[in-house]
Amino acid sequence: MPTLNGLLLRLKALFRKSQAEQEMNEEMQHHLALETAHNRELGMTTTDAARKARLDFGGLEAAREAERDARGVRWLEDFVADVRYALRSLRRSPVLAGAAILTLALGIGANTAIFSAVSAVILRPLPFHEPDRLYILWEQNPEKGWYKNIAAPANMLDWKEQVAAFQDVGAWADWRSSATLTGEGRPVVLNSALVTGNLFSALGVRPTVGRAFTPEETWETGTPVVVLSDRIWRNRFKADPAVVGRTLRLDGAAVQVVGVMPSSVGAFPYEGVDIWQPMAWKPDRRSQVSFRRAHWLRVAARLKPGVTPEEADAQLQATVHRLQQDYPATNRVMGAGMTPLHEFLVGDTRQPLLVLLGAVAVLLLIACGNVGNLLLVRAAGMEREVALRLALGAGRGRVVRQALTESLVLSLLGGVAGLAIGWWGTRILILLQPANMLPVHDISLSWMVLAYIFAITLTCAFLFGAAPAVWGARRAPAEALKEGGKSGSSGHRARRWSDVLVVGEVALALLLTVGACLVLRSFWRLTAVDPGFEPKGVLSVLLVLPDARYDSPQKVQAFFTELVRRGRELPGVTMTAGTTSLPLTGLRWTSDFKVDGWGPEQVGFEVGHHEVTPDYFRTMGVPVLRGRAFTPADRDSAPQVVLINQSLAARYFPGEDPIGRRVAFDKVPDSNSVWRTIVGVVQDERQVALSLEPRNEFIAPVAQDGGRGLYLLLKTSGDPASLGPTARDLIAGMDPELGILSMTTMDEIRDRSLARQRFMLTLLGAFSLVGMVLAVVGVYGVMAQLARGRVREMGIRIALGAQAAEVQWLVVRHGLRLVAMGLGIGLSAALLLSRSITALLFQIQPLDPITFVSVPVLLVLSAMAACWLPALRASRASPALALRTD
Amino acid sequence: MAAPSDLLQGTLDLLILRTLKPEPMHGWGISQRIQQTSRGVLDVNQGSLYPALRRLEVKGWVAGEWRASESNRRARYYRLTVQGRRALGAETESWRRYVEAVAWILETV
Repeated sequence: MPTLNGLLLRLKALFRKSQAEQEMNEEMQHHLALETAHNRELGMTTTDAARKARLDFGGLEAAREAERDARGVRWLEDFVADVRYALRSLRRSPVLAGAAILTLALGIGANTAIFSAVSAVILRPLPFHEPDRLYILWEQNPEKGWYKNIAAPANMLDWKEQVAAFQDVGAWADWRSSATLTGEGRPVVLNSALVTGNLFSALGVRPTVGRAFTPEETWETGTPVVVLSDRIWRNRFKADPAVVGRTLRLDGAAVQVVGVMPSSVGAFPYEGVDIWQPMAWKPDRRSQVSFRRAHWLRVAARLKPGVTPEEADAQLQATVHRLQQDYPATNRVMGAGMTPLHEFLVGDTRQPLLVLLGAVAVLLLIACGNVGNLLLVRAAGMEREVALRLALGAGRGRVVRQALTESLVLSLLGGVAGLAIGWWGTRILILLQPANMLPVHDISLSWMVLAYIFAITLTCAFLFGAAPAVWGARRAPAEALKEGGKSGSSGHRARRWSDVLVVGEVALALLLTVGACLVLRSFWRLTAVDPGFEPKGVLSVLLVLPDARYDSPQKVQAFFTELVRRGRELPGVTMTAGTTSLPLTGLRWTSDFKVDGWGPEQVGFEVGHHEVTPDYFRTMGVPVLRGRAFTPADRDSAPQVVLINQSLAARYFPGEDPIGRRVAFDKVPDSNSVWRTIVGVVQDERQVALSLEPRNEFIAPVAQDGGRGLYLLLKTSGDPASLGPTARDLIAGMDPELGILSMTTMDEIRDRSLARQRFMLTLLGAFSLVGMVLAVVGVYGVMAQLARGRVREMGIRIALGAQAAEVQWLVVRHGLRLVAMGLGIGLSAALLLSRSITALLFQIQPLDPITFVSVPVLLVLSAMAACWLPALRASRASPALALRTD
Repeated sequence: MAAPSDLLQGTLDLLILRTLKPEPMHGWGISQRIQQTSRGVLDVNQGSLYPALRRLEVKGWVAGEWRASESNRRARYYRLTVQGRRALGAETESWRRYVEAVAWILETV
């Protein structure tokens, strides 16, 4: 049993080695002296006595060795010696060491960067108390094709009250709200999120200062309150705790600050949120139909302790069933379900990140293959040295251990360099990433990442080090020590290992490149998609008019009309318009509808809506296909009109003329319904994303149906971004208290729609390029080695009259055979695995024939060059020289 | 006198422990005592004594310290620790069982 004393002895042996050695010698000398004295007493002469004593003692050096072993730190001393030896030996071949370390650093660096992202996004726990007890509650409606959809407030409240398994249920609005802060310098628009009063307590987040909302504040209390985010608290209020209790002017109203949230929730419910505001619903809304009909909440529930998710789901389904029967008008087919909160928040980015993680793992394997080959070549060159050591009595295990230590040293050096590259890589990742794909603002090298890197470094050392180490110790010493023993006759075993490595590398490189090529083709297809509008030269400016000063629809309309008019007069602006929703960013709102003259069974489902000013279609380059667009005559007091897009016309009015038909945006119109007349058909715009089909949509005039928010569109023939300052001045001139929520050009919007694909493409493309280069270099290296070994043979053949090409073919044939095997394995793997990235592809089949033909061809061509060059060089050597070569 | 028989490593440990039971000794003293007490049958390979002592020290069964010997030279004396005493008891017991078992086999077969 290890004791403190034992430990001290070990430490002493390690750190006070000379003293321990001295004591050992002293003790043994003392023993010999006593034995000699004893022998003399027995009557021997001094010399004989000393000699016998020595003999009886046994081998002195062997005894010393045995005692050193017994000290228990031998393995550590050996290890340190091996490390020193490895460093010296690597210094002697700097090119090889440099190449190996660089290769490893690239592979490990890529893994560091990607795993950091994975760890930050997927593995990091949510900043809530006991996050595994939190679930998202969603609604589903098979009729409308809803699944995991946002919920209606009345339903949410019923779930909260009637499902006993939920300890608490909170919710937040699904959109990004805003509030203009005035009275603190320039008016600034803050990103706001609307939440129920109990949301923070349900999630288990405690404020750093002050308090969170109370459950009562879900409803109107008469005192508007707000909670600040950590970021805005630090930036704008200098992290002063006294800000709690202060009154701010938001959207013209006096609002009291009641607390500050920690930075850990700074990205909830979306990145960049500045303040949270309570719902403050009027109590009488609870029983209104609209409260159950309009769906706009994301709902989170915490399970009671001890309740399983299955129990909770069963109770939820029972409640849903009850609601379906109690409120058939709205809830007849409305179902609900639960998903763990973590999965919901992260799910979107999980697959791309995991694909990237797989790609860099493959890249690392290729890198290890190359380093393994390098070490094999080196081991072949060190045959004599190893043979000498074996002959001098080193155990084979010791030699293998030494070789493995060398691999470990190489791997650790590569790992350290890789960490540096990887850290730098995370900076690049953050720069490159499309907005909000990775919902973290900082990917740092956490302990988990360091541990992962350390683990893969060790694995690498073993992967590429084991073969050369074991092989190196297998040579029979006598053979290698012979004078004239060819150092190039590395034997079949080494070559076979090299062959295996090459085949593996080619296969992996193929796999990686096929993946990258599929994503590349996807991207090309995506860029070719017609968004339905012309983005060039258009700037959009988002404004939201606050309640306080624009308290009637007339005031709102008057402002917007004037704004559009004045915008037209700005220098450089050729056209202006307004819209309540930009294409490629999402639907403004959805509804069902009924056409005048349809039977009771016919209903239109889930169509989109947004509102535009008359010049919209000209400004955005959207053709009007039939009928007319809007005119200034389509005022609020005029007959209600509406336009439909091409898809809606095709779906609901096939073969007929929709112009003049009347529609109401209710499934079952009643006396309150507004009937609108269709006056025209316009071309589809892609409302949600380039990769998604256009949705059926109604478009209404802003004058008749608009709200407080509007995107002002300014078209110019030059650079739209240059209009920014003039637009700002225009708005400040019309209302100095008004803040601009966002300003983007339509080109940027379109780019954002491509951003995710472009991100994946950039990364996968980079990895596959590096992988292919490494693989080709690996093939070249092995072929060069092979060719070098056959120089003599080539010389003989040429001397006997063979053509250079024939001789080269001997070597190349071997190489091509390996490449072909690699291709075969790689293709099979690619065929099997490409299905797993279907979600990343757009309009491209996972088994896309063009990809699966062009990538192997590309690889074969590069590999052939890599095989031919060394063969060429080897055969060029003059035959006489070749024959004399050793 | 019969040729000295080779000792197994474990047996050597046991003998050292037993020899140290009455009083602390230095290395040479231990080897002499074993030789004498075994009436010359066991001639300890003195080179293997010191590694054994080191092992026992690391295990914590003996403790060594430098002291002045009889002839006033510096010598390292080893003594049995409490754990060593316990180990001695256990090792003796297993040795006895071993010897018994061997005896059974020799008698029956």
